[in-house]
Amino acid sequence: MATMDSRKSQKSSEQCPLVALVGNPNTGKSTLFNRLTGLRQHIANYPGVTVEKKSGLLRLGNQDLDLLDLPGCYNLTAVSRDERVVMDVLGGRHGLRRPDLLVFVVDASNLKRNLLLASQCAELGIPAIMALNQCDAAKRNGIQIDTALLAKQFGIPVVETVATRGRGVDDLKSAISNALSNPSFLPRIHWPECIAKGCQVLQTGVKDLGGDGVTQAEALRVLFDSDSVFTCGISDKICLKKMVDAAHQDIRGLGLSPGSAEAVLHYRHLESLLKGVVTSTGPIARSHESIDAILLHRVWGTLIFFVVMYVVFQSLYSWAGPLMDLIDTLTGMAQGFISPLLENMPVLQSLICGGIISGVGGVLVFLPQILILFFFISLLEDTGYMARAAFLVDKLFSWCGLNGRSFVPLLSSYACAIPGVMAARTLSDPKARLTTILMAPFMSCSARLPVYILLIGTFIEPRYGAFAAGWALFAMHFIGLALALPLAWLLNTFFLKIKPQPFILEMPDYRVPTLRNIFHRMWERGREFVLRAGTVILAFSIIIWCLLYFPRNPSVAEKIRTDFASNPTTSISKDALEHRIESAYIEQSYLGRFGKAVQPVFEPAGFDWKITVGVLSSFPAREVIIATMGIIYNLGADVDEGSEDLRTILQSEKWTSGPRMGQPVYTLPVVIGIMVFFALCMQCGATVAIIARELDWRWATFSFFSMTTLAWISAVVIYQIGKLF
Amino acid sequence: MSATLDSLNVGDSAEIVDISSDCTRAGRMATLGFIPGRRVTVTRLAPLGDPISVDIGGQEISLRRAEARLIQVKQA
Repeated sequence: MATMDSRKSQKSSEQCPLVALVGNPNTGKSTLFNRLTGLRQHIANYPGVTVEKKSGLLRLGNQDLDLLDLPGCYNLTAVSRDERVVMDVLGGRHGLRRPDLLVFVVDASNLKRNLLLASQCAELGIPAIMALNQCDAAKRNGIQIDTALLAKQFGIPVVETVATRGRGVDDLKSAISNALSNPSFLPRIHWPECIAKGCQVLQTGVKDLGGDGVTQAEALRVLFDSDSVFTCGISDKICLKKMVDAAHQDIRGLGLSPGSAEAVLHYRHLESLLKGVVTSTGPIARSHESIDAILLHRVWGTLIFFVVMYVVFQSLYSWAGPLMDLIDTLTGMAQGFISPLLENMPVLQSLICGGIISGVGGVLVFLPQILILFFFISLLEDTGYMARAAFLVDKLFSWCGLNGRSFVPLLSSYACAIPGVMAARTLSDPKARLTTILMAPFMSCSARLPVYILLIGTFIEPRYGAFAAGWALFAMHFIGLALALPLAWLLNTFFLKIKPQPFILEMPDYRVPTLRNIFHRMWERGREFVLRAGTVILAFSIIIWCLLYFPRNPSVAEKIRTDFASNPTTSISKDALEHRIESAYIEQSYLGRFGKAVQPVFEPAGFDWKITVGVLSSFPAREVIIATMGIIYNLGADVDEGSEDLRTILQSEKWTSGPRMGQPVYTLPVVIGIMVFFALCMQCGATVAIIARELDWRWATFSFFSMTTLAWISAVVIYQIGKLF
Repeated sequence: MSATLDSLNVGDSAEIVDISSDCTRAGRMATLGFIPGRRVTVTRLAPLGDPISVDIGGQEISLRRAEARLIQVKQA
């Protein structure tokens, strides 16, 4: 009770100090963050960008601190708003809270390069301490670090940590606590005259031009990043560029090139500070050399890559199956249990069973795949293999603006786009991540398979044989990929204005992963999905239920009952009668009416109103099509893709009106058109929700409409060409 | 002899002279250790010939040929 009260008062007064972890990628920063906060974490997005904001509660005795895990980066360079987040936080811009203390997490094996970021941040004048992480690995590599000297030279406390084992975490906590009451600062680089002057000119120039006013640290960013997004609120870019160009001229006068000058000067500064701090015994023995000789080998490396990816894919595609079935069974049991209790309230019964329970089931059913995928992703990243895998296959993707890291997200999208889109977080380049996310739904996920099996099994296999059927199935799985990569190229070449960034990968040392870290990642992603995307998916499910259920005028059922009762020649079983009523209700529902109304839109693709309603009702989740077809064709919802009854009906289905009256509905061009439509269309509310969550609603909407349009065009083209033969 | 990093063979070693690129890109590469005066050794190629992997100051870094082409080197 006492703790709750104290927390409440802390929150309301907004007085808890903000501590931010800053560091390069692969330094174990997030592991350290997890060690410090445990499960008291909160994940959100920074406002206006697609970068994840990870914050947590750090409890030091009776003091609570807000801990922020800033995105890992090598420097403060920013060409996109996503990358600018670190600088915005450190500068306290855009309403973001400026941290009271920075904890620099540095990899002991690569001290100099890691400290470059710290040296840049020193300009900001925020108190700092240093966590020297992965000390054990450094020692194994023969690197000795004089921690006391390091602390003395940099003027801030230094704590040795091994985050994966939790070593040094308590020391770090007390160092944080001490630093808050007794702050110390990193030594600032002494800039050559001309750069200092260039900054001043910029700072005053910005003020004169009516800009926001910039700090020296921000002026440096404008000076050194020619593509900088720090426009300082100035519209007159030419004037700004003149100032920058003048400074660059001066830098050239120093014998430096403006591009590398900043890094060169920081490295010189660091080299003088690090004198005597690092001693390596003999030549640096790199443990990964012998492993790389095999894992990156042209033949063996490629072979191992495909084996690893096969295991990842199989586990998603097949091994997740039993768990997903279990969730389906449990959903069915819950419906079976609740349904009789609400027998006399049919609307509520249908809402709870058909809308809510199946919606919750529809959310949970994704969890096994998400958890399994993130198990493997954590494993591959923590061991250091992920960077190698990206190196091996980068060439396959580089031409269209993706990169080697796109492989795992796209591959997993063949099982399901949801974990695939989430996996795109492993791409650090915002542009490549965006493109990967938009291409993921094109991969033929397992929910499309029943449609292919039904239609190929009904129309292609009987007529053209098993061989053709096999090829048709393969083609359906290939078409999405074949279109997605050129589309990615188009998108990157003509539409995305962000400049492509060099794909430079650091090959981290191989490490033994810890289960703790892996499970944390799985838990984090699973929770994320259920809480954030899950709620939207559930809402979709309920909306679609409403559209399929209402207006449900009882006269519809009455009419069918009296028709059959008054006509004794047609005898019909009770089940069959119920199926007819269900079918009539769907036809009368808002969605059914809508389907009939928009049927002309699908007319050029050769779809009748039944196919149109089937297609429309499967927008929330494409696998629903089979059950909808079952209802529409009077078989009830309980059919599957292997159902002989459904196949027979589809084969004999004929147009009942219009110019094609009496002709079969499902001709070959129509069948292929439907399959291609399903292959390319974004018929998955969950994917829309997850894209909105990972990027934003604008991209989700764009993805939905562009895919749907593309699917429609393809179906129309196929039907129109097919008609010619 | 002056050349660009992408023209080196596996096992070749050279000294970086300059990076000819826009500031931001050059800055990024410089941050990762590609700065004038440093020695760089090509350690391997990816199975499809691109990207390449280099050793720079004991760090293994992979970069695409398109980027390697921007790095001017001098072979001893």
